[in-house]
Amino acid sequence: MVEEILEFLILGLVLGGIYALFAVGLTLIFGVLDIVNVAHGEFFAIGGYALYVAMVVLGLSPAVGLVLATVVVFALGLVVYPLLIAPLQKRLGRRAPGPLFLVLTLGLSALMQNSLLAAAGGEYLKVPPAVKGGLDLSFTFVSGQRLLILIVASLGLAALFLFLRFHRQGMAIRAVAQNPAAAQSVGIPLGRIFTLTIGLACALAGLAGGLIAPLFSVYPAVGFTLTIKAFAITILGGMGNLLGALVASLIIATVEALSVLVIPSEWQNAIAFGTMILVLLVRPSGLFGKKQP
Amino acid sequence: MLAVEGVSAAYGRLEILHKVSLDVGPGEIVGIIGPNGAGKSTLLKTIFGYLPPFEGSVRFAGDTLAGLSPDRVMRQGIGYVAQAGGVFADMSVHENLVLGGYSLGSRRAATAAIERVYAQFPLFRARAHQRAGSLSGGEQRALAVARTLVVKPRLIILDEPSAALAPRFIDEIYATLAALNRSGIALLIVEQNVRRILDAAHRIVVLDMGRNAFAGASAELRQSDRIRRLYLGEDAG
Repeated sequence: MVEEILEFLILGLVLGGIYALFAVGLTLIFGVLDIVNVAHGEFFAIGGYALYVAMVVLGLSPAVGLVLATVVVFALGLVVYPLLIAPLQKRLGRRAPGPLFLVLTLGLSALMQNSLLAAAGGEYLKVPPAVKGGLDLSFTFVSGQRLLILIVASLGLAALFLFLRFHRQGMAIRAVAQNPAAAQSVGIPLGRIFTLTIGLACALAGLAGGLIAPLFSVYPAVGFTLTIKAFAITILGGMGNLLGALVASLIIATVEALSVLVIPSEWQNAIAFGTMILVLLVRPSGLFGKKQP
Repeated sequence: MLAVEGVSAAYGRLEILHKVSLDVGPGEIVGIIGPNGAGKSTLLKTIFGYLPPFEGSVRFAGDTLAGLSPDRVMRQGIGYVAQAGGVFADMSVHENLVLGGYSLGSRRAATAAIERVYAQFPLFRARAHQRAGSLSGGEQRALAVARTLVVKPRLIILDEPSAALAPRFIDEIYATLAALNRSGIALLIVEQNVRRILDAAHRIVVLDMGRNAFAGASAELRQSDRIRRLYLGEDAG
């Protein structure tokens, strides 16, 4: 039993790494732009497709594939603000109603999903693992791909947090999240920061999509469940709270992994979303409260 | 140096400013007073680019400002101190100053400039790593002023620097402002505290219902019974 629990704990950590890459980005966008990016799952899917193209179609190395997945999705993320959000903001003026942006990103999600379906077809594409072998822990065997996820996800998140903490542009992102008017008064151009924020958040989603692709398959709607789950994580961690999103990712993933031991797996998602609704009702500000990127 | 001419501005369809004009010369302190809802804060926001005017012109040192966003107005050499909550409350005092130097482009240029500000405000060096939101109201106001100094502005716009402060802190902030002015920085100040601004400013502009109602030297304003009665009320004492 103890060995089983340990095994599922490791699985939870691996899954938590993916959730965190995804949910921290979603939370960052929300904290800075006040927009819920419903299309985040599609950027994750594109990360998977990019890895597939790099490794299977072009025969590139997995490392190059992962970098490519991150960079391609980063570039796609960079155009979201100037091409979609800024024009809508401009037309609607200063007090643009939030629901319109929700509809906008929902539309983007459907557009991207259907484009993927048209371009790549609906089949489940298999991607070979980036690393072979693994780690034998006597009670369980951890595959190399899972170790890779753990390491790369930790590095990616650490890089993001260090960037936000110490880099000039990272500080500017935090400044805009806290006080956009004051940020402008010190010379920070809001548009550029919004553009960069969505780009970075999407890059993390693309990286996550590439990392997990060899474990699951790649298909157009692969990011959908993750998006909904990330909403739960974002709410649990406190809307806009990055550290909260990180901790909540690990909690949700671990609970999800361990719940297999006691709850039939077909009930897993229902339980996860039931928990989200419960948290909303009991503690709407999440476990860790207010937004503080 | 700053020349505002016939500026009108509106929030949506609600017109707040009607053809307002004023100017600020180099090294001058100009105060803006007027009843609540006269459009004083709106005028500052319009000058700084938060609200685009739909007519009239705003020029600074010959360059036109109207239509520029605040981050670009700031780069012309103008600082802005908001009425309240102008600091990044969840960041440290030092981070606030680092962000004050954002437009300098490099971290190194900012570091030298921040050193200069610390020399001017020793209190902030001692509290460099304290959360800005945990400073007192007066200290936060001073930090917002100090933050504008990192880039050496030629004009600082202040929206009610005395608001919600105890008299002792009002004295301190005005002493700071007077010192800045002596160093050559022009100030444009919206103020409810009429007595305070009459003492501090060289010239006063009175706004009423979004229009220019009076403009002249502080001394002149003090002597005008009509203006005292109409706009200063008992505050003028």
